[in-house]
Amino acid sequence: MQNKINEIKNYVIQKLSGINAQADCQALRVEILGKSGKLTELFKQLKDVPAEEKGKVGQILNAGKSEIDAIISNKEKELANAAIQNEINSAEKIDITLPTGAECGSLHPRTIIQREIEEVFTSMGFVVEDGNEVETEYNNFTAVNVPENHPARDMQDTFWLDNGEVLKTHTSASQNRILKKYTPPIRAIFPGRCFRNEDVDASHENTFFQLEGVIVDKDVSVGNLIYFMKEMLSKIFKKQVEVRLRPGFFPFTEPSFEMDVRCPFCDGKGCPTCKNGGWIELCPCGMIHPQVLRNSGIDPEKFSGCAFGLGLDRMTMLSTNLNDIRELNSGNLKLLKQFGVK
Amino acid sequence: MLISLNWIKEFVDLSGIEVDELTKRFGLSTAEIESVTHLGSNLKNIVVAKILSVENHPKSDHLHVLTVDDGSGAPVQVVCSAPNVRVGLKTFFARVGGQVKDMKIKPVKMVGIDSNGMCCGGHELGIEADTSGIVELDDSAKIGTDIHDFLPVDDVLIEIDNKSLTNRPDLWGHYGIAREFAAIFNRPLKPLAVDDLSAYENLPKLNIKVETKNCFRYSGIAVENISKKFATPLIKLRLNYCGMRDINLLADLTNYLMLELGQPMHAFDHAKVRGITVIENAKPLAMETLEHTTHTIEPNSVVICDDKREPVAIAGIKGGLKDSISESTNSLLLESACFDSMSIRKTSRKIGLITDASLRYEKSLDPEMTQTALARLLYLLKQIDGDVKVTSSFTDVYNFKYPTHTIKTDADFISRRGGVELSAKQIADILTRLGFSVKVSGQKLEVIVPSYRGTKDVSIKEDLVEEVFRMYGYDNIKSSTMSMPLTPVDKIPTHEIEYEIKYALASKFGLNEVHSYVWNYADFNKSLGIEDKPVVHLMDASKSGQSGLRVTLTPTLLKFADENKNKFANIQIFEIGRTFDELDQNNLVVEKKKLSIVLASPESEKALYFKLKQIVEHIAHSLVGCEINFENASTSKILHPINSCAITSGNLTIGEMGILHPTIAKKIDKRKHFAALELDINKLLSAPKQTQKIVPTSKFQAVSLDFNFVAESNTKYATLERAIKNFRCNYLLEYNLKDVYTNDADLKGKISYTINITITPKDKTLTSTDIEKFSAYFIKTIERAGFTLRQ
Repeated sequence: MQNKINEIKNYVIQKLSGINAQADCQALRVEILGKSGKLTELFKQLKDVPAEEKGKVGQILNAGKSEIDAIISNKEKELANAAIQNEINSAEKIDITLPTGAECGSLHPRTIIQREIEEVFTSMGFVVEDGNEVETEYNNFTAVNVPENHPARDMQDTFWLDNGEVLKTHTSASQNRILKKYTPPIRAIFPGRCFRNEDVDASHENTFFQLEGVIVDKDVSVGNLIYFMKEMLSKIFKKQVEVRLRPGFFPFTEPSFEMDVRCPFCDGKGCPTCKNGGWIELCPCGMIHPQVLRNSGIDPEKFSGCAFGLGLDRMTMLSTNLNDIRELNSGNLKLLKQFGVK
Repeated sequence: MLISLNWIKEFVDLSGIEVDELTKRFGLSTAEIESVTHLGSNLKNIVVAKILSVENHPKSDHLHVLTVDDGSGAPVQVVCSAPNVRVGLKTFFARVGGQVKDMKIKPVKMVGIDSNGMCCGGHELGIEADTSGIVELDDSAKIGTDIHDFLPVDDVLIEIDNKSLTNRPDLWGHYGIAREFAAIFNRPLKPLAVDDLSAYENLPKLNIKVETKNCFRYSGIAVENISKKFATPLIKLRLNYCGMRDINLLADLTNYLMLELGQPMHAFDHAKVRGITVIENAKPLAMETLEHTTHTIEPNSVVICDDKREPVAIAGIKGGLKDSISESTNSLLLESACFDSMSIRKTSRKIGLITDASLRYEKSLDPEMTQTALARLLYLLKQIDGDVKVTSSFTDVYNFKYPTHTIKTDADFISRRGGVELSAKQIADILTRLGFSVKVSGQKLEVIVPSYRGTKDVSIKEDLVEEVFRMYGYDNIKSSTMSMPLTPVDKIPTHEIEYEIKYALASKFGLNEVHSYVWNYADFNKSLGIEDKPVVHLMDASKSGQSGLRVTLTPTLLKFADENKNKFANIQIFEIGRTFDELDQNNLVVEKKKLSIVLASPESEKALYFKLKQIVEHIAHSLVGCEINFENASTSKILHPINSCAITSGNLTIGEMGILHPTIAKKIDKRKHFAALELDINKLLSAPKQTQKIVPTSKFQAVSLDFNFVAESNTKYATLERAIKNFRCNYLLEYNLKDVYTNDADLKGKISYTINITITPKDKTLTSTDIEKFSAYFIKTIERAGFTLRQ
């Protein structure tokens, strides 16, 4: 029996040496190990072997089968590898540096900055509100303590509409509505488009974006305002900044301040952005005027608050190196397409 | 406004404080400083000299050859072109080696004759306005005296941002600024030297009548016998340094007072103007002012008239030419008055004449100041001209007095608002320095606001918080966090969705966001034939160039597409902005937040239309979670009459989209196809929400079946889809459209949809009987919806 097996083994080895195709190898496997294969036939003869030898012959047969199966399997693996290698070698060489043709979209730079700033505020517990663009004279002026005959109410400064309303001149126009909507403690920001009836040039726009915020609670102080502004601006500029207050004047705050930030682009050493002054005037702010609180139904004896405004256009220009504000409303795709989505 | 530091130092001793420190502290405590200029250092080796001889230049018709005594011993020869040279005249002479501003003085030959120095004109030196000749000094000037010893030409000029003084009428003159410096550095403010007006009590009164409530106070006094024509070199210097021109004694003195106290004044020729009547004109008036310009004064302006009611000045703005002082004037009526700020502002804007006086009056000046100013002017006038004689008593019509504000507060309130613990005494000290009268009792404070701060600036206790802490120093306030309760933050859906949509359009669909203006572009729209009827208009369209507010967003994006058409083959832009197409029952604008998209590309119209659909489905399904439908026709006139649709959700129309109307598209760009969409964000959010039901998967074998359904050619796929969606069975059912046929002969013009249906049993393996049963039932159901199975 061992001889018969060896015969088959030698036959297989000899056959395999001439085989180069996977199909031929498969055919050989069937010829030897298939249902009526040569080796299978030997197993069928086992039933004629005397009982006392059956165990031994069976062992020989099994060992032989394993050996022959391994020999064929090795060849099969070898051929499979060669086939893969062949497929790899004959593959089309793809130049992945070719363009994809997919269009990259872009957000308006203002949207990107606005979102970034909004996220700083929401992380500090502020609600983000939407304001109107058309406001009543009351909301835009009276509610925020702008006197009846203040120059800001003039036709030459404000876009008056023929229904008696105005295109809102500042985001403060939303203050009354928002202070009425919530009860203290209040933390809210309201970004929005504002309008001034003025001639447009590289640094003046009649349509621009502001972001205004209010905080109202018991005993909000100037010290709180400084703390808050410093933290907020540090987050926006992604570095610890220094701020300072200077006197300002706005009808809706008392006291009013201009807030300067130590130039984050040169760390106050002096650069074109800060006009070598080391400080950038960034953010008008102040303690909410008691009359403004009263107009919103908040008792200024019980509560105080601060309000601040950030020029989104200015922030956008600062962070994008744009030097002509008109670009922002221009629809100039050569420029706008350069921005991404973050 | 320009401030001379020397002038300030006349009222407050600031010795020992560096200029940098002065300006820094002023900037942090009071108002913004725009620039600081050091003057005088570029005037070198300039001395008082006397002209000894004058001869005509032999080769020139306008040059003279002079010898001057500059105090150096030997006479110096110099060639001079000034017409006013004469023997004995004392003037400023720049020696060789000296410097007059940018000019270095060297020995030169002028048309062949040596010239060793330069006789200086007042304008060249910056100390006088005159450009016609050389400075004429008083004979008392000592020869050889350096200009720096003769006049305080060394000075620091501080330019303060006018805007930051809008609310501080008290800071429109040097004395007010000096008061501020005194308070900041805690140094005493010197009292103003003034003439004693009570000395003239027995003289006759002037005839002054005030007939308008907009003249708060009119004070006047008359003088005569003025022998001097010109002001002193110091007054001229200060006027010129502070940006004004010296003219003649009286004009200079009134201007000087305005720069010193912020009180505008005027001098009339008393021989012509015998009395004053202040009126509000009922009819338009024409008046020729000092600059020889005739202005029409509209009715209801305040006008100063003489006793014959002839107009002589536009109150608070400009004097008239007719009765102004001249060479021959010997008696004067001096005006010091206060007017309503708004009235002056209105008149000034209407005439288009903004003057130093009107700028100050607009700020609400303190009426108390008129008297001080007159007393100060008389004092200065008498110093210059000892012969001057006052001929009337101080005559004063004082019709409107501001109330005196008394503010009651306490140290605790001030401290809490600032966030710094201050004692009542500390607060009182600061306020007293600023001129407030303070009564302290324990923690309580009773503060009387001085008249010069009480016209509009300070009236409530919050105003005192500002006064106290700007002096205390905002940079000395320690920043401190606030304590607020932990509460979840609301998100405003209309705001949130805006960013989510923008982000998806840019990042997923490759669109570019633009921002535009809210105007309608009437000309552009007209050129494209877009119907354009704004509901609200601007009252003044001069600066925007457009008069209406847009009622729809898409035309603006078409304009942007038009502007970019030659730069890009593909344009895919969007904006989320407001439109203004409706007024409510109270006549208020109902503004709408809209999304508009414009696609322009050589790609097929169908591809663009489907891209829009893909976008809308993404927004509706993924971002909002609502069902949408495209079966209804659009009403938009700018879209293609056939290939456009309304975007609806339930019964709600939330927008419209489609191929752009060919007439419009061809006018913009014939090489591109256009598709556009406009969606109402608020309506989108109000669409009924569909929550996606999660179905458990099944482990049993699914079966896939294809069906061909035929219908009339105008039958939309949506009809078939709805029938499938409404089909109910016990299996999990998935479907997709495999093919659409329209051209096969056997269809005879009808349309055939090939639908692939996959059914998965939930609890057993499907038998062929099950499948046959399902198919029969399914076909029957779909056929009820108007389809037949294709044979």
